[in-house]
Amino acid sequence: MLKVENLVAGYGKVQVLQDVSLEVPQGSLVTLIGSNGAGKTTTLRAVSGMIQAQSGRITLNGGDITGMAMHDITKRGMAHSPEGRRVFPTLPVADNLLLGAFTRVTGSRPKGNVAADLDRMYALFPRLAERRAQLAGTLSGGEQQMLAMARALMLNPLVLLLDEPSMGLAPRLVEEVFAIIARLKAERVTMLLVEQFAAAALDVADFGYVLENGRVAASGPAAALKNDPAVRAAYLGAAH
Amino acid sequence: MQILAQLIVSGIAVGMIYGVIAFGYQLTFATSKTLNFGQGEALMLGSLVGLTVVAYTGYWLMLPVVLAFGLLQGAVVERLGVRQAIKTKSEAGWIMATIALGIIFKNLAENIWGRDALKFPSPLPEAPLSFMGVNVLPMEVAIVFGALALMLAVEFFNRRSIYGKAVVATANDRDAAGLMGINTSLVITFSYALSSMTAAFAGVLVAPVTLTGASMGGVLGLKAFAVAIIGGLSSGMGVIVGGLILGITETLFGYYFSTGYKDVPGLVLLLLVLSVKPSGLFGAAAIKKV
Ligand SMILES: Nc1ncnc2c1ncn2[C@@H]1O[C@H](COP(=O)(O)OP(=O)(O)OP(=O)(O)O)[C@@H](O)[C@H]1O
Ligand SMILES: [Mg+2]
Repeated sequence: MLKVENLVAGYGKVQVLQDVSLEVPQGSLVTLIGSNGAGKTTTLRAVSGMIQAQSGRITLNGGDITGMAMHDITKRGMAHSPEGRRVFPTLPVADNLLLGAFTRVTGSRPKGNVAADLDRMYALFPRLAERRAQLAGTLSGGEQQMLAMARALMLNPLVLLLDEPSMGLAPRLVEEVFAIIARLKAERVTMLLVEQFAAAALDVADFGYVLENGRVAASGPAAALKNDPAVRAAYLGAAH
Repeated sequence: MQILAQLIVSGIAVGMIYGVIAFGYQLTFATSKTLNFGQGEALMLGSLVGLTVVAYTGYWLMLPVVLAFGLLQGAVVERLGVRQAIKTKSEAGWIMATIALGIIFKNLAENIWGRDALKFPSPLPEAPLSFMGVNVLPMEVAIVFGALALMLAVEFFNRRSIYGKAVVATANDRDAAGLMGINTSLVITFSYALSSMTAAFAGVLVAPVTLTGASMGGVLGLKAFAVAIIGGLSSGMGVIVGGLILGITETLFGYYFSTGYKDVPGLVLLLLVLSVKPSGLFGAAAIKKV
C-alpha cells in the first residue's frame, strides 16, 4: 500500500535520512523504532509531504507521490497524525474532527458518511465526546493527542501515519492508546506507527523497522525483532 | 453638549471606515503573517471602479461588481507581490512588494481618472436627519451598518462553512492544515482577495461622504494600519473599538484644537500603543513577527 524506496531527505542542507526503504502492506501495522534523533519523524514528514524528498521514491497504492504537495498527498488518502499533536487550538473539538474529513466534505475524496464517522470517533474516544464543543487549545495534552489521532482517522485513510501517539501520556492512557491501535488493526486500518515504547509497539505490530542515523539498521517480523539480541539490548532494555 | 454629540456621531462613521479597513489587514495577517501595505490603494481603486460602474448600473448593482473587482485585485497582489516572499521566508520582500504595487496602482489610477478629487453620487438622500439637534447623514448610518454587516458576514463564513474553517485552520497552523488536504497557498490568496474586497467595499461606502480620487487611499490606509496596531492584529472587536477611538479622537481634536493637526492624535496614539503594549490593546502577542 505504501512503499518508500531509497529515501534521502532532510532540512535545508542538513541531510537526516541517508537511505530509507520500507514497505507497509495493505491492512498491516508496521512500526518504525529507533533512538531519539534517528529520523523517524523526518521519515513520516517526507512521506506525507511536509518536507520534500531529495531523492528516492514514495508510492501510495501504486501511484507515485514523490514531490507532491502535502494537500495532494492527503487527497490520495494519506493521513498523518504528526509529532507534537498540532491540533487547531482556536477551533472546537468537533471542527478539528470535521477538518480531518475536509477532502471528503469538499468532494476530492469519497464522501461516505461523515456524521456516522464522527460518532464512531466519539465512541472510540469518549473523552472527546464529552468535550466536543470545547476549544482544542484548552484540552489536556493527552486529550489533544487523542484528538490528533481521531482527526487523522476522519480521512478514512488508505494509510495512517502515527507519530508517537503515546507521547506525554500517563501510563493508563498509554494503555488506552495501544488498545485503540490494536482495535484499528483488527479493523484492518493500514498503519505506520512510530513509537518510543518500542516493546509495546513490537507487541502490537506485524512488522518492524529499526532506524539508526537515517538508515534502516534492521527489519523483520515484529516478533522476530523483539527477540533479536541486538535490538533488545539497544531499544528494549536489557531486562526486558 | 450638542456639538460634542455631533462630533462623536461624525467620528463614529469615520471610525467604522478605519475599522473595516483594519479588519482587512487582519485577514491576511491571520493566514500568512503578512500585510498588504497597498490596502489604501485597494480602497481607492474599488471606489474609482465603483464611480465608473455606477453611471451604468446605479449604486446597488454597482456593489457586487466592486466586490468582485476587489477580490480579483487582492488575488493579483498576493500572486505578484507576496507568494514568492512567503515561499522564501523573506521578511522584507512582501513589505517592499506590496508598497510598490500600491504606488503602481496609484499611478495607474491617476492616468485613468486624473488627479482631482471626484464627487461620488450618494445612493441615499443627502439631507441630514436630525435627532435632538444632532445631524446625521443617512450615508453615515449606512457606513456603520455596512461595515458591521461585512465583518459579521466574514465571521459567519469562518465559523460556519467548511471553507471558512479551513481558513481558520490555516491561520492556526499552516502545516497541519495542509495535512488535512487544505491547499493553504490558495487559502492565503483567498485571504488577500477577501482583504482587498473589504477595502474596496469601504471605498464605495465612504466615497459618497468624502470625495473619491487617486490620492484618497494613502492616509486612510495608514490610519487603518494604526487602528490595526491599536486594536491588535488578531482581535475583531479590537479593530472596531480601535477605529472608533481614532475616529472620535480625530474629529474632537480637529474641532477643539486645530484641523491642521487632525492627523496627529491617531499617530501619537499609535506610537503610545507601540511603546506601552505592542500587541495592541486587545491582541495577544501578534505583532512580534512583523
Ligand atoms: N525542523 C528541523 N530543522 C532542522 N533539523 C531538524 C528539524 N527537525 C528535526 N531535525 C533534525 O533531524 C534529526 C532527526 O530528527 P527526527 O525528528 O526525525 O528524529 P526522531 O527519530 O523522530 O526523534 P525523536 O524520537 O526524538 O522524536 C535530528 O538530528 C534533528 O535535530
Ligand atoms: Mg520524532
